[in-house]
Amino acid sequence: MNTIEKEISNLKSSLLKMFFLVEGQWEKGANAIINYDQDIAEEISSSENRINAQELKIDNDCENIIALHAPVAVDLRFILSTYKINHALEHIADIAESIAKYVSDYNIAYDKKIVDEIRLTEMLDVFNTMMDCLIEAFENEDPSIARRVFKKDKLINKINTDAHQIIINNIDKYDKNMLLYLLSSIRKIERAGDSLKKIGEEIIYHLEAKVIKHSKK
Amino acid sequence: MKYKLEAKNIDVFYGKLKALNNINIGITENAVTGLIGPSGCGKSTFLRLFNRMNDYIDSFKLNGDIYIDNTNIYDKSVLVDELRKNVGMVFQKPNPFPKSIFDNVAYGLKIQGINDKAFIKTRVKDALKQAALWEEVKDDLGKSALALSGGQQQRVCIARALAVEPSIILMDEPTSALDPIATAKVEKLILTLKEKYTIIIVTHNMQQAGRISDYTAFFYMGDLIEFDKTDTIFTNPKMERTENYITGRFG
Amino acid sequence: MTNGEKNRLKDSIFKYIGVFACSIGLILLAIFIGNIIYDGFNRIDWSFLTSLPSRKAEKAGILTAWSGSLWIVIFTFIIAVPIGISAGVYLEEYNRKNKLTRLLEINISNLAGVPSIIYGLLGLEIFVRLSNLGSSVLAGSFTLALLILPIIIVATREALKAVPSSIRAASFGLGATKWQTTWYQVLPAASGGILTGVILAISRAVGETAPLIVVGALAYVPFTPKGPMDEFTVLPIQIFNWVSRPQHEFAINAAAAIIILLAITFTMNGIAVYFRNKWQKKINW
Repeated sequence: MNTIEKEISNLKSSLLKMFFLVEGQWEKGANAIINYDQDIAEEISSSENRINAQELKIDNDCENIIALHAPVAVDLRFILSTYKINHALEHIADIAESIAKYVSDYNIAYDKKIVDEIRLTEMLDVFNTMMDCLIEAFENEDPSIARRVFKKDKLINKINTDAHQIIINNIDKYDKNMLLYLLSSIRKIERAGDSLKKIGEEIIYHLEAKVIKHSKK
Repeated sequence: MKYKLEAKNIDVFYGKLKALNNINIGITENAVTGLIGPSGCGKSTFLRLFNRMNDYIDSFKLNGDIYIDNTNIYDKSVLVDELRKNVGMVFQKPNPFPKSIFDNVAYGLKIQGINDKAFIKTRVKDALKQAALWEEVKDDLGKSALALSGGQQQRVCIARALAVEPSIILMDEPTSALDPIATAKVEKLILTLKEKYTIIIVTHNMQQAGRISDYTAFFYMGDLIEFDKTDTIFTNPKMERTENYITGRFG
Repeated sequence: MTNGEKNRLKDSIFKYIGVFACSIGLILLAIFIGNIIYDGFNRIDWSFLTSLPSRKAEKAGILTAWSGSLWIVIFTFIIAVPIGISAGVYLEEYNRKNKLTRLLEINISNLAGVPSIIYGLLGLEIFVRLSNLGSSVLAGSFTLALLILPIIIVATREALKAVPSSIRAASFGLGATKWQTTWYQVLPAASGGILTGVILAISRAVGETAPLIVVGALAYVPFTPKGPMDEFTVLPIQIFNWVSRPQHEFAINAAAAIIILLAITFTMNGIAVYFRNKWQKKINW
């Protein structure tokens, strides 16, 4: 293994760790929403520091590898995609924190019936499978697994659009405050889903050098 | 698309050893084409085909054709010395003659039998200016070229090649013996020269190929593995061997 | 004794052996030269240089000997140098390597080691008899030229080899022909080395006796040569002639002539060394 390979394999483990940290945040976030667990919401806030630290470390590593090893071709693509994935993951972790924060802000458990009707639990499940796919694709360098997230992202988008209508229809039946929190959460999850899709694109760019951003898949 | 230089079905043998294997390539005018590859891959041999420098090697044998401006330069009617006036060459180690700077640059004209002193003076001045050396040496053109720094010597060699007004310049690792500052000067020079000349450069320095060449050809064990625009080669090479080589994963 | 001590001891023993070996040659030479100078130095005066040889030792001079030597050297130079350098250039620059040329190269190196008397016999047969030159300056010069040709060829080749091939490549790359490259670049760059070889070869020719005796140089010539076809003698033969006489005065004459001969060869070697050093300083590849 030559020097740049070593650096790159270290960077890969760092990013994998980032993936796991963020995945953990989302599992906790889902738990907080579904089971109305305020302690978990607290925990998420404190883990955020570790994620921020990891983000800075990866940024720094990317910078160093570019400056010291002048990577080209697959190495360069790996660094560039890692750099972007890193920021996307940090963004996703922020979202997990904010939806958990809604739980503690509202301070009452969300109504189970409306949660089911807007398919929030399903949405969170889909989100977690997307995350799993990406981790697997990244770890095994398998672009075909990464491709699976695009279809799942469409499902998340659909749940988001449907939820708007459902909430309008139910606007008088429930506490408006709660509905707004739920709507905000759903929209944030949709945004996080988009970020996951971008991560998928980056993984494919790294492995296949295909730019599929802004194109029809 | 019409090419300035073209190699068609090139095989080169040194005795029984096959040094180049069925090379086909077209080289664009007024562009820098970089040849990269590990030592002994045939890139220098290939470069030297274009001014027939391999002819001096006893066991050298060539199959295939090399065209410059659609003329087969290995045709019997082509005079080697005429060819070399059109195809200049700069070597790996600066190799000025042990003579004055002026005599070095004027040598190519002298051997053509040109005696017009004023004419030679103008050409030497122009060549040194093009080689970005005029300002540094204009006051002591009579100084021995060997007394200059390595980077200056290499620019004398470039000026020497330019003085006979070639249309093509071959460069065989022109900066491998130079420090980074001298290298940067020569690279900058190469970029300005490509407006007037077609340049082919052999380099071991990947980054250099990336910086200065418009097209890059990767040679490995006598084969042309990949030839493409430089940015494609360096971001997304098609062949795994190319990728392994440029990312330093060889051997 | 440890290994280290043994090694150091061996080292210093060898050093003393080396010093001893070097000093033997130097001491013997010093004794010889000292002896010669003691014997002959006072004999050297203007009339010694300008007198013809004579039966009377005090009247005898070396005019014919050194002028003969001069003639011989000039003609040898004129004959051997162009041929030798051309042959060296051909072998080094033009020649394609094959079995025949390798044979040629080996033979030239061997020729440099052939005893000079053999050259004398060759000269006697070819130049004196077959070419009808007689025992003339020209026959002697041809013979000596033959003798020093291999030296000049080998020296030329070595000097050419020392010129970096990058210089040739640069010249060819500009469209120069082989002749232009050799004439404008390679030969000037090699001229110091070639000159050194030539001077060393000529000083060898100055000191040669045996081949000249064989081709018929005379011991006693009462006139200086007026042209290349004249008979001649040279300094070493004059010395040999004097040394073989019983009278002590002639021995003194011989010593004086030896001093002159030594002075000539030393000067020529000195010039060779001077050029070599000058050239090495000037060119730093």
